[in-house]
Amino acid sequence: MTAQRFSISMLLRYVIAILIALVVLIPLVMTVFGGLKTTGDLLSNPIRWPADHLHWENYDGILQSSSFWVQMRNSLFIMLITATGVVLLGSMPAFIFARINFPGRELCFNFFTLGLLFPLAVAILPLYISLRQMGLLDSHWGIILPQIAFGLPGTILILRGFFLALPQEIEDAAYIDGCTTFGMFRHVAIPLMRPALAAVFVLAMVGSWNAFFLPLLVLNREPLWTLPLGIMRFQGQWGTDWARILAFVSLTLIPTIIFYFFAERHIVTGLTAGAVKG
Amino acid sequence: MASVTYDHVVKRFGDVVAVNDLNIHVEDKEFLVFVGPSGCGKTTSLRLLAGLEEISDGNILIGDRVVNDVPPKDRDIAMVFQSYALYPHMSVFDNMAFGLKLRKTPKADIERRVKEAADILDIGHLLDRKPKQLSGGQRQRVAVGRAIVREPAVFLFDEPLSNLDAKLRVQTRAQLTRLHQRLATTFIYVTHDQVEAMTMASRIAVMKDGILQQIDTPQKLYDDPHNVFVGGFIGSPSMNFFDATLVENNGKLEVNAGGFRLDVPEEKANEWRAHKGKEVIFGIRPEDIHSKPFVPPGILESDMRATVDVTELMGNEIFLYLMTPDEKQFIARVDPRVKTTNGDNLELAVNMANAHIFDPKTEINLLHQ
Repeated sequence: MTAQRFSISMLLRYVIAILIALVVLIPLVMTVFGGLKTTGDLLSNPIRWPADHLHWENYDGILQSSSFWVQMRNSLFIMLITATGVVLLGSMPAFIFARINFPGRELCFNFFTLGLLFPLAVAILPLYISLRQMGLLDSHWGIILPQIAFGLPGTILILRGFFLALPQEIEDAAYIDGCTTFGMFRHVAIPLMRPALAAVFVLAMVGSWNAFFLPLLVLNREPLWTLPLGIMRFQGQWGTDWARILAFVSLTLIPTIIFYFFAERHIVTGLTAGAVKG
Repeated sequence: MASVTYDHVVKRFGDVVAVNDLNIHVEDKEFLVFVGPSGCGKTTSLRLLAGLEEISDGNILIGDRVVNDVPPKDRDIAMVFQSYALYPHMSVFDNMAFGLKLRKTPKADIERRVKEAADILDIGHLLDRKPKQLSGGQRQRVAVGRAIVREPAVFLFDEPLSNLDAKLRVQTRAQLTRLHQRLATTFIYVTHDQVEAMTMASRIAVMKDGILQQIDTPQKLYDDPHNVFVGGFIGSPSMNFFDATLVENNGKLEVNAGGFRLDVPEEKANEWRAHKGKEVIFGIRPEDIHSKPFVPPGILESDMRATVDVTELMGNEIFLYLMTPDEKQFIARVDPRVKTTNGDNLELAVNMANAHIFDPKTEINLLHQ
């Protein structure tokens, strides 16, 4: 009886999991295979297998072009600096707002979280003017710095929750062992927060990797372009080379997928197990 | 090596007074145990000494140094927590070495000290493991090891045994006592368990509602409780209390508790006569009530009768839940040879040498010197 109910619930779980997997995978597969068709074939048969043969020339052409690799390098640079900056600068206030008591703490914290109300697009005009005054137009820092700033509220909000969950006795033990507040942050809190930090890092990375609007406004010279801007090259005045675009998108996915494979373990593993007798 | 002094220490959390005018002087190498029910201020007192809480008033001294404003790391203390609070991301070795590394102790020195501590605690084979790979008892020993390697002037323990199972707790209790003898350092220990306090302490400080009730050696605390609370808290099962009056009948002093009367033997009468005619709270421990004929020799016997309500056989003794004629329940701890069933009316011998009388208003022991 229980075995049967168990298998039915397992079956349900599998069905749901497979459905979700399909929702995620089908567009991916269509993108990858769309890049293997000609644009004409793609437009007449979006779903079917390529009509004649696999057209590797779309991928080939992109990989051969130097601009793709320049854009890849630009995107990687901006993404890594942004994500590192967000984690580095977000974790410290999050720690303070979680573990240190001072008058006005909640006010400061709420002030930071207010930032969540303002997406980048809302502030784009004053931001553009500020960047121009600082001479950061046509520079990668003109993208990195605003991205870090707009990434902070969410990061602080998420990390503060994790820092709050750190057991008080571990903090006490660290102080008695001889830690200063920063030492406790650096030697005890941060290593224990690794899964949370990895999650926040990935969030910031994805946001930065996919960013289109800000780079579009800030970067005019093509050698500075990021990958999302590179797609524009295939959109002409008279037509769009959809097969090329899909091939291009497929290739831009690769670095993030590789990274995720490496980071997944850190994101999933709960490190606090064993901290406190459960 | 250092003494510890609480000098008129007060701790307030908002309007709540957690520790109220605490005065204790702990001698160097002493094993002091704070004991009391939860919320009595014992853990707060320890955290004040550790520097984890700021004191609201008074002074705390370690040795001759006032440490009120000294951060925990500079107080030369080490602490073992109830949850052990091991760093989950560090190996056992790193957990123990962490404090020394922060103090820039030479590497060879660190290794030697960790190894020594590991040998003492028999955790040498666990040094490479992470805390989550250890059992509760092993984690507890690592937590003690982390304190030992620091070679502090004062060791602080915050209920370190409460997460262990009963058997392990008894073993660890003895280990801690041995450790105290071996290290010859001041130990300050917090527990809610009076058995732990009785078995390990050189002195016990009993606290209630933030106020120190009595501080004394375990034996003195047991023999001569300062008030009703201490009498009831120390000893298990706890002391029986009856509302009674001291009356003189035909020249003999009696305790009249309504349901029963007990003669006060001549040896005690002089001391008790000062309170003649007064209402008192009469206190007698379960182990001082014997069932006839199994009465030990040499006691100051006074007789009474009571009805058996429940019997609990413990093997080496029997706990009798008894009822006085006016339906007041009390407990006696009697010889295992006593054969009795529920409803029996037993003849009991009370050892008046160990009886206490307390003032009903102040609850203070009237015989306390």
